[in-house]
Amino acid sequence: MSDTDEFGRVSRRVGQLFRGVLLASTLAGILTLAVLLVYVANDAFRPLTADPGWHLTFLLTFVLPTLGVGWWSYQRSYGTLTTGLLGIMLPTIAALYAGGLAALFIDVIPTLVWLSFVVAFAIPVGVVVALDRTERDIPFLAEITAVLAVTAGSLLFVPDLVQGLPTVPADWMVLVLTIGIPEALLLGRWTRGRWGRRAGLTTGAGIVVGSAVAGVLGTVTGVGAIPGVALALFAGVPTALYLSVVAIERPERRAGLLLPAVIVGGALVGELFVGALGFAGPESWVDWGFLTSTVQRGADPGAVGIYSGIVGTILLMFTVAAIAIPAGVGAAVYLEEYAPDTTVTRIIDVNISNLAGVPSVVYGLLGLGLFVRYGGAQTGTLLVGGATLALLVFPIVIISAREAIRAVPDSARQASYGMGATRWQTVKNVVLPRAFPGILTGTILALSRAIGETAPLLVIGAAQVFGVPDSWNSTVGAMPLQLYVWASTYASPAFYTTVLAAGIVVLLTAMLSMNSIAIYVRNHYEQR
Amino acid sequence: MSNGNQASDMSEGSSGDEYAVSVPEGRGRDRDADGEASTIIESRDLSVWYNDEQALQSVSMEIPEKRVTAMVGPSGCGKSTYLRSINRMNDLIDAARVEGEMLFNGKNVYDDDVDPVALRRRIGMVFQQPNPFPKSIYDNVAYGLRLQDRTENLDEKVEEALRKAALWDEVKDQLDQSGLDLSGGQQQRLCIARAIAVDPEVVLMDEPASALDPVATSKIEDLIDEMAEEFTVIIVTHNMQQAARISDKTAVFLTGGELVEFDDTDKVFENPENDRVEDYITGKFG
Ligand SMILES: Nc1ncnc2c1ncn2[C@@H]1O[C@H](COP(=O)(O)OP(=O)(O)O)[C@@H](O)[C@H]1O
Ligand SMILES: [Mg+2]
Repeated sequence: MSDTDEFGRVSRRVGQLFRGVLLASTLAGILTLAVLLVYVANDAFRPLTADPGWHLTFLLTFVLPTLGVGWWSYQRSYGTLTTGLLGIMLPTIAALYAGGLAALFIDVIPTLVWLSFVVAFAIPVGVVVALDRTERDIPFLAEITAVLAVTAGSLLFVPDLVQGLPTVPADWMVLVLTIGIPEALLLGRWTRGRWGRRAGLTTGAGIVVGSAVAGVLGTVTGVGAIPGVALALFAGVPTALYLSVVAIERPERRAGLLLPAVIVGGALVGELFVGALGFAGPESWVDWGFLTSTVQRGADPGAVGIYSGIVGTILLMFTVAAIAIPAGVGAAVYLEEYAPDTTVTRIIDVNISNLAGVPSVVYGLLGLGLFVRYGGAQTGTLLVGGATLALLVFPIVIISAREAIRAVPDSARQASYGMGATRWQTVKNVVLPRAFPGILTGTILALSRAIGETAPLLVIGAAQVFGVPDSWNSTVGAMPLQLYVWASTYASPAFYTTVLAAGIVVLLTAMLSMNSIAIYVRNHYEQR
Repeated sequence: MSNGNQASDMSEGSSGDEYAVSVPEGRGRDRDADGEASTIIESRDLSVWYNDEQALQSVSMEIPEKRVTAMVGPSGCGKSTYLRSINRMNDLIDAARVEGEMLFNGKNVYDDDVDPVALRRRIGMVFQQPNPFPKSIYDNVAYGLRLQDRTENLDEKVEEALRKAALWDEVKDQLDQSGLDLSGGQQQRLCIARAIAVDPEVVLMDEPASALDPVATSKIEDLIDEMAEEFTVIIVTHNMQQAARISDKTAVFLTGGELVEFDDTDKVFENPENDRVEDYITGKFG
């Protein structure tokens, strides 16, 4: 140590330069993306075709109040702002998915067929519950035989029986019966646990009555009975529940609900003024006609729509989820909790990680070879497309589920084993509940990867013109495939700046909404 | 601090003073030492390896029923390994291999016909870090009973276990709150309640108080004293005074996995036979 007063200085020049470079590359990335999005959005929504008066009206009634209230909530507390944002995001995203489900019931699955299969599955489930409840000791083998026999018999005969009924319930009744009542029971239980018996009863009754009313209202107003019930059950109920939770349990954040009120109110008031004053809105390409038209080509972009693509994507998602989630999560649980640590399992480990990086075209070829060449399936059908995309996301689901399972602290497993739990009991009671949010997040992200894929669908021979599928064996398309076709086969200058841009907006909305759900789930459970 | 020649692995977050045991007055337990207790657990030449590294060397010891037996020794000497080989928690470690016998009520638990899961239902375990499940207090205590389908009179059994763990009065109005919302000491007593709710014969405790503050520690010690009325308690501790205060018998392990002294606690602390043990308990080395 020298005994001078000065410490001297340490040079930071290289570090500063490095920091500058990092900042520049970050900005470049964000800027490129922003320019691209603005460009596409401009083509899709065409805001400049609106009257200036229209813009001014909405600026005053909608934009400024929203910004003002948003800022005010943020000043109160960050929690207030997020409460408000969730209050508007939840109904919006839920309504999107409710619309998707409604499309499913309108076009693909006749409600009567749905009802018949729900009944056919409910019977064996009822038997299992009854067996579980009974006091008498039945040998395991007899039990399993009985359950299998009932399941098989029920699936064989009940659907035909139900479909042959002399009187057929209306669409909305079927939905209220098969979805509304289970939802009422489930959420009723949940609210009873939280706020007591009366709340539980109110919730249950409210859900059943509310969805029935929505069905009738939908028929009367022309929205349709199915969309009415779907919106009530999948958007209305979650929103109402969210509002109740905030109102009852988070009084300090209640002020945040002003934000959604201002957003909805502002939009309505703006609409009213614009109509009264005669200001024309923008001639947006993303409109009701675009979302619901099944026309895929032609000279007039105004007639073209993306409906077939939306329904195709939804159906593919259901198929992929039904195949990839059980298989992927199952494999993850096996590898993490059961498999011994040997060379073989280590080789499998490495290979799964590699598989996640294989280009999607290769999965398309694999699907083609596996299902069409060897399996003898038709090309381009819903089942083949779903199975191929399931192959694609399978490794991703495994990896993310394994990560979630590995994040469960070992002390939790030790506690359970130490109590004399079997492996299965430990997995069921300790590991899976704790890993669930992580598994959910990972699978949603995997699905959102799958809905953006075009190449595998092309390779398995998906048709360039596709309708709305009505069975497992009809050909199917998807939103990205539709975009690809508009940009290549039917490319015309008229399409580039019109329906293509509108399609991109729709696809991105679907993907971003899925990703935001995944992010919300992750953050929500991380806070605990 | 006491003398400066303590080995570094002794300083597990405690001051050296705790090891320099100036034997306190009235130490040892008041349990009537005259009535000789029968043996519930006995190991014969028990050796444990992790891969090729031997962690226990031919340990033979007889553990009396309904007494508190303490295991002390420097860290890494195999105390936890011994504890885990009693209820076969070592089975969960791929690298672990056991030789010799571990008799529980005269039956070797490593015999082929012994189901380790059934064994663990009779030998409960409490860990160093309190590890309640992220479930309600009630569900934590009911966990083992539900595993075994012993759900009749569940409420009473849960209450009884919480009372025995001296936790009932503190939590009786919040049974449906998460076990993780409790303080560290309460969490550990919850884990004890969870372990004793299924009426095990033996409770193994691996340094149950080493993550707790002095007040919580003394509550746990009182609790262990009461538990010995009903259960056989085997406790690992690195705190000499704690061993002296609460145990009837003390086993001293030294580095290398060797059991060097096992006798009545009074005898071990006052007049150990082995010089290395004397050095160890008076803090001369770790
Ligand atoms: N899971 C394990 N894998 C490999 N070695 C282990 C494992 N657990 C303990 N050991 C080794 O066994 C020896 C005894 O450890 P342990 O029983 O935990 O000692 P203590 O509880 O007395 O501190 C140490 O050398 C330790 O490194
Ligand atoms: Mg230890």
